[in-house]
Formats: sequence, C-alpha cells, structure tokens
Amino acid sequence: MKFRFFLSEAMNSLVRNWVMSVAAMVTILVSMFVLGLGLIIFFNFQDVISDLRNKLEIEVYIKSTASQEEIDALGDEIRAMPEVKRVYFVSKEEALERLRKSLKGNEDVLDALSGNPLPPSYEITLKDPAQIEEVASRFFDNPLVDNTPGSDPPDGVKYGGETSKRVLRVTTIFLIGGAGFVVLLVLASVLLVSNTIRLSIFARRREVEIMRLVGATNWFIRWPFVIEGVVTGIAGAAGATILVLLTNKFLVDKVIKNMTFLFSAGAVPVFKLTLFLILSGTLLGALGSALALRRFLKI
Amino acid sequence: MITFDHVSKIYEPDIVGLEDVSVHIERGEFAFLVGHSGSGKSTFIRLLLKEFEPTEGTITVAGRNLQRMRRSTIPYHRRNIGCVFQDFKLLPNKNVAENVAYALRVTGQPGRVIRRKVPEILQLVGLGDKMYKMPDELSAGEQQRVSVARAFVNHPSLLVADEPTGNLDPDTSVGIMQLLYRINRAGTTVLMATHDREMVDKMRKRVIALKDGRVVRDEDKGLYR
Repeated sequence: MKFRFFLSEAMNSLVRNWVMSVAAMVTILVSMFVLGLGLIIFFNFQDVISDLRNKLEIEVYIKSTASQEEIDALGDEIRAMPEVKRVYFVSKEEALERLRKSLKGNEDVLDALSGNPLPPSYEITLKDPAQIEEVASRFFDNPLVDNTPGSDPPDGVKYGGETSKRVLRVTTIFLIGGAGFVVLLVLASVLLVSNTIRLSIFARRREVEIMRLVGATNWFIRWPFVIEGVVTGIAGAAGATILVLLTNKFLVDKVIKNMTFLFSAGAVPVFKLTLFLILSGTLLGALGSALALRRFLKI
Repeated sequence: MITFDHVSKIYEPDIVGLEDVSVHIERGEFAFLVGHSGSGKSTFIRLLLKEFEPTEGTITVAGRNLQRMRRSTIPYHRRNIGCVFQDFKLLPNKNVAENVAYALRVTGQPGRVIRRKVPEILQLVGLGDKMYKMPDELSAGEQQRVSVARAFVNHPSLLVADEPTGNLDPDTSVGIMQLLYRINRAGTTVLMATHDREMVDKMRKRVIALKDGRVVRDEDKGLYR
C-alpha cells in the first residue's frame, strides 16, 4: 500500500522533472559506459598477461642413464607437489620429433647425428607462476637431473631465470596499474553522478522543506527519491551495458581477429560485466539520491 | 497548550531573535502575535515547530517539553500542529487534492479515509470545485485556502499561522480570517502572527505584542495599537 504510493510519487516526479531525470540518466549512462570500456580493456590485458604468465614453465632434463622406474618415480614426486598445475613428460623420441619440426627444411642436419642425443624431460606448469624459481630450485641437486658438471645455476633445470622474473614484474605492474585505472573510473563516476543528482534535488529543496513541515518522517520523504534514483540508475546502466556490449562485439572482436597472437576472443566475461554494470548503476542512483537528500532533511 | 518559559533565541553571531519571553496560551484560545518585521514573530513560530532550538529557556507544547524531544519524533510533533504560511508552501507538483492528501498520507491514513476526508475539507474551505487544479492555476486567496485545508485536515489541536494574510488583499483576507475563526470555534487553539492592524482590531482577541524580541504587551480582547 505504502510502497504503491512511493512508487507513484517517484514515477510522477520522474515525469514532471523529466529534464533533470534525463540529465541524471545520461550521466549514469556515460559514466557506466566509460567504466564498461575500461573494464573491457582491463579484461583483455589481464587475459594477455595470464597467457604470458602461463607460458612460464620449468623444464627438467633427465640423465640418459636413468631407468624408467626412476623417471616414473620423479614424475609422481612432481605431481605430488601442491604448487604444480600440470606435468608433461617429453620422451627422447618426442624431443627429437619437436626438433625435427622446428628445423623444417633443414632436417638433413639431423641425419648427421648418430642415434638420439636428446634427453627426456618433464615440462611443469605451476598454479602460481610467481613460485617458479622456488619450485625449480628443488631439482637443482637431484641426481637424476642431467646437469653439466660444475654449471651454476645447474643447466639441467630451465625456468627462464631472469627473463621469467622480468615477465612477472612487468605483468604485475600492468595488473596493478589496470586495477588502479578501473578504481579511478569508479570514483569519477560516483562523483559525477552524485553531483548531478545533488543538482536535481537542490532544485526541489523547497518541496522537501514543505514535506518536513507537514510532518513527514525522513524515510517517508526519502523513499520516493531512492526509488527514483533506482529507476534512473537501471535505465542509465541498461543503456550503457547495451552500448558496451555492442562495442565489445564489433570493435574489439575485429581487433582480436587481426591480432590473434596477442588477444583471445572471450576474454570478457559478458554476463558478469552486465551484472556488474547494472548493479553499480542502480546502487549509484539509489545512494546518490539518499546521500544528496541528507542535507535537506535537517530542518 | 503553549508555554514559553523565559525563552531566548540568539542567532549567530549575536542577533537577538527572542529575549526572555514567557507566554502561556490556553487550549482553545485565539491569540494574535503582533509586531514589526524582525520583532521575533517568526522566531516564536519556528521555535514552536522545533525548526531550531532556543538558546535558553523551555518550551512546552501540548504538555510535551520540546527540549527533551528526540529528533526522530519531530515529525509526529508537527502533525499535531497545523501550519499556514504567508507564502502558502504548497507542493508545486501536486494538485489541490493531492496537496491536502499529503498531510494525511504522512500519518499513514488509508486510501479510503483520504478519499473521503479530502473532498470534505475542500468543500469546507469553498474549493470543492477546484480539487484537480494545480497551485499555480489558483489565485493567492485560493492557494491560502488550500493551505488552511491542509493544515486542518488532520484536526490538529493547535493551528499556527505566520502572516497568513500578508500576501492577500483585504477582502480575501477576511475570508481566510473567517476560516481561522471557525476552526477556533471548533475547539482548535489558533496562534496567528500578523501585522494586519485592521484585522486585529476587528477581532478583539488576545494580543501579544513583540518588540525587538521582547513581549511588550499581552492583553485579552486587545487592539493592535
């Protein structure tokens, strides 16, 4: 009963103050659109970065003298490590096959070899690439590892060393920078939207004053404004979401198709993004109204 | 009904609104509050509505001490006081009926009560045929009638009017005064701030005269002078 009254109050003032309503709606639309674009860019970079990071792996070369049992035992030991995501065993034959492929056209070089000089190896991918050095170091002194005597660090274990550290450092900076950028965008939209709503409520402060004098409680005055904010927020955010998704589809997809080596399609979690934009638009509208109203409710 | 006990109100930094005012108004009384602009009439009324606190002294309205009233209960206090202002204070986006209905809505009255009471009270103030007009389509006198209707629709025990005839021509003013008089006859205490000399002299009711924030005269059946 009361809710119906509040709803009709909200709808009436939306229509009667339509210029202000449209202004607030457009403001929310624009800021949610910019935020959405920012998020798309962020998601794509995050995707590229996690791709790069996943390419970091440890290769453990095994002595040719090792028996099959010893090799299997090492494999089980690696699989048992909690940090390990995936282990792949590369046999001597597969190693040779890979070499042959990478030589493409110059395979005859291999004919000069007598037999297969390549060692078998394990390729290890970690759940968290940041732990790569620590995990790699566990194999340094393993007697099964095919180290050249006296090499330091042992050359039987390859994990990128300095390069992997640099990749980790640079990508971390990018991720933090990207997150900071998104936070800035959120702050900017909160300020922009709350300012617009404050203007629209300021224009109606006399109305609020009269309501107070007639004996309306603060919540009785506030509810219609909050509902108004929610409606404005949903409308603005819905518009923004449509624009963001269209942009993602046509523009970004085109870029991705031309740069498949870098970006992969489907980096943007569309459903989550939609939900996030709509929810934050709604929240922004509701909170913006409630907060902007505060100083006029003190009479 | 209303008791001011040694009440002072100093506005920042040092402007005197009221100074050591003690007044008692009985239930059912009709009293004028007279004085020049800036004599403290509006301060008196705004203190009654608890728009702000007195600097000193205590105010009691309908047996309740305003200083001890919590902020959250102010709305309930105001529902017991009907208010009429010089500038009408109608909600510009609502029509006549909705403006009157708003005072009922805030008290949580159900729709069927509102649909019955609003036409009734508008009939009483002579606006039965203007229910669906917007405030800006009405004359000043009509707007003030709406304002009186809104103030009285809850049947408050106290009706406060701050210069209700200040913006009206003499003939229209008489109409408003008659309304207030009838409301008083029905048992409601009426306090009216005014500097309408003719009206005060004609009514011969209690007159409380303020000057520079002090009560300089308080007499029954008084004149404006």
